[in-house]
Amino acid sequence: MNRRRSTYNAIKYTAAVVLLLISIFPYIYMVLQSLAPWDQVNKVFIPSRLTLRSYIWLFTGTEALVAKPWLRAFLNSVIVSVSSTTLMVLSAAIIGYALAKLPFRGGRLVYDFILFQMFYPAVILLIPTFLLVKAFGWFNTYWAMIVPKAMSVWAIFMYTSFFKSVPQEIIDSARVDGASEWRIIFRIMIPLSKSITIIVALFLFMARWEELLWDLVVVQDTSMRTLNVLLATIQSSYNPYPGPLYAAATILTLPILLVFLAFSRHFSQGIRLVLGK
Amino acid sequence: MEVRGWLLTSPYLLYSLVFFLIPLGWSLWLVFTNWNLISPRIDFIGLENFVKAFKSARVHAAFLSAYRIMGFFLPMVLVQSLAVALLINSLPWGRAFFSVGFFMPYLASGVAVALVVRGILAYNSPAAPIFKALFGTIPNWFGHPVLAVFIISLLIAWKFSGYYALIFLAGLQSIPKELYEAAELDGARFFTKLFRITLPMLYPAFYTVLIMAVGLCFAIFTEPFMLTGGGPGRATHTWYLEIYYQVFQNLRAGYGAAISFINAAITFTSVLIVRRLMQRWGRALGYE
Repeated sequence: MNRRRSTYNAIKYTAAVVLLLISIFPYIYMVLQSLAPWDQVNKVFIPSRLTLRSYIWLFTGTEALVAKPWLRAFLNSVIVSVSSTTLMVLSAAIIGYALAKLPFRGGRLVYDFILFQMFYPAVILLIPTFLLVKAFGWFNTYWAMIVPKAMSVWAIFMYTSFFKSVPQEIIDSARVDGASEWRIIFRIMIPLSKSITIIVALFLFMARWEELLWDLVVVQDTSMRTLNVLLATIQSSYNPYPGPLYAAATILTLPILLVFLAFSRHFSQGIRLVLGK
Repeated sequence: MEVRGWLLTSPYLLYSLVFFLIPLGWSLWLVFTNWNLISPRIDFIGLENFVKAFKSARVHAAFLSAYRIMGFFLPMVLVQSLAVALLINSLPWGRAFFSVGFFMPYLASGVAVALVVRGILAYNSPAAPIFKALFGTIPNWFGHPVLAVFIISLLIAWKFSGYYALIFLAGLQSIPKELYEAAELDGARFFTKLFRITLPMLYPAFYTVLIMAVGLCFAIFTEPFMLTGGGPGRATHTWYLEIYYQVFQNLRAGYGAAISFINAAITFTSVLIVRRLMQRWGRALGYE
């Protein structure tokens, strides 16, 4: 019986490891190709030696006369994603606190409206929001990429439901001690919501970092494109340079993966809140 | 309390006025016009955009492609995510590690993945000899309508299966152990337990996953944009590609807005039908 069980387990773990390797294979392939010598890119699975040439080529102008907008694109991505995510998380925490812990007339209505907006098909808003942003004179600017994505109804909803489970006594006793609402939010509520903040911020950051359609339509100048949009639009002219394309794809993917792995300890707890289980 | 509540929620009120209510009203007006983004002339043309869209072969292609992708994507993603969830749940240790690992594909940018997939499926790629050995020839993946839909669906299933697996895993962990113990006393085998206990008890997870997965098929953009451009023969021409093409290439804002309304209505109806079907199944299982 015992031996049978351990054989079973060996099979299960082998299956799990093999499946896991298959499912992360595109990542492995991408990283290996980005480090491969140029005469081996897209020709072998495992390069005979590793080199940083593709990465160096991306960020320096020494090897070809092709203009290289990659560094700027990476910075654009960082600027847009960091500011957008920060605004979304902060506003969601503040508004979620108000909706969950400040009983005010009309609050219920605001909450219902948030739910309505959450389930409203976003595709209908794409064109008029684009026209609006253009009318503001934001075409080709960071504003177009940040402001319409400065708030997330999903994040507000997540914080509201989480804050509802925080005991009212904590807030009441802080008020007795003379704490302001800001102090309550930033010193009590946000530190309490670490697990949900990590997962909400990760999901929002990922979605923002990888946005394609919106960033593609509100920006025309190559110098204003995010890394994701640049990689999506430049491929045909980079056909002779597959190695650097893999390097750019790696630079696009790795930050998300590393942040995720760094916080993966909080992941299972946080994801349960997101899934509502 | 009153003032503070309104004060703290005011950023949302302002935001939803500017980026929700105004665009909402604007879109309701746009669909009845023939505006093309540059012309100063805007005519009110009634329902003409809708009539044109219903007759358009491109819109028909988008309509069909959503269900074609769904036909591949749903079975793939359900089998993959369920298998992963069952496997992880059966492991005595390391569940957290494998949950995190299988979730990783969800984090990938579609753009980066498309690049990798194009490399692997290329005619002279290192994988080509493997395909040749398997199929006798190197398939022209994006030149064949069925294969192209298959690849696009596989990519999306790959991305979402780890995410859906977590939903199934949470469902599996909420099944009481006593049910299995009682079944084992009655001599139930693996498949009996799977079909009589596990799958019925996973009904809430199936419900969540199916509604998310069905809704998704009407909002696909990145993968066909990167890999097929909608081809071959519009086999992978999705709703979002059509909207993007009409508005941002052809500049027909009014017509594009009308298509996005049709897209929303069809998504809503399809999700509703799936909900009804699921609820019927749920009632048969004794869920309310």
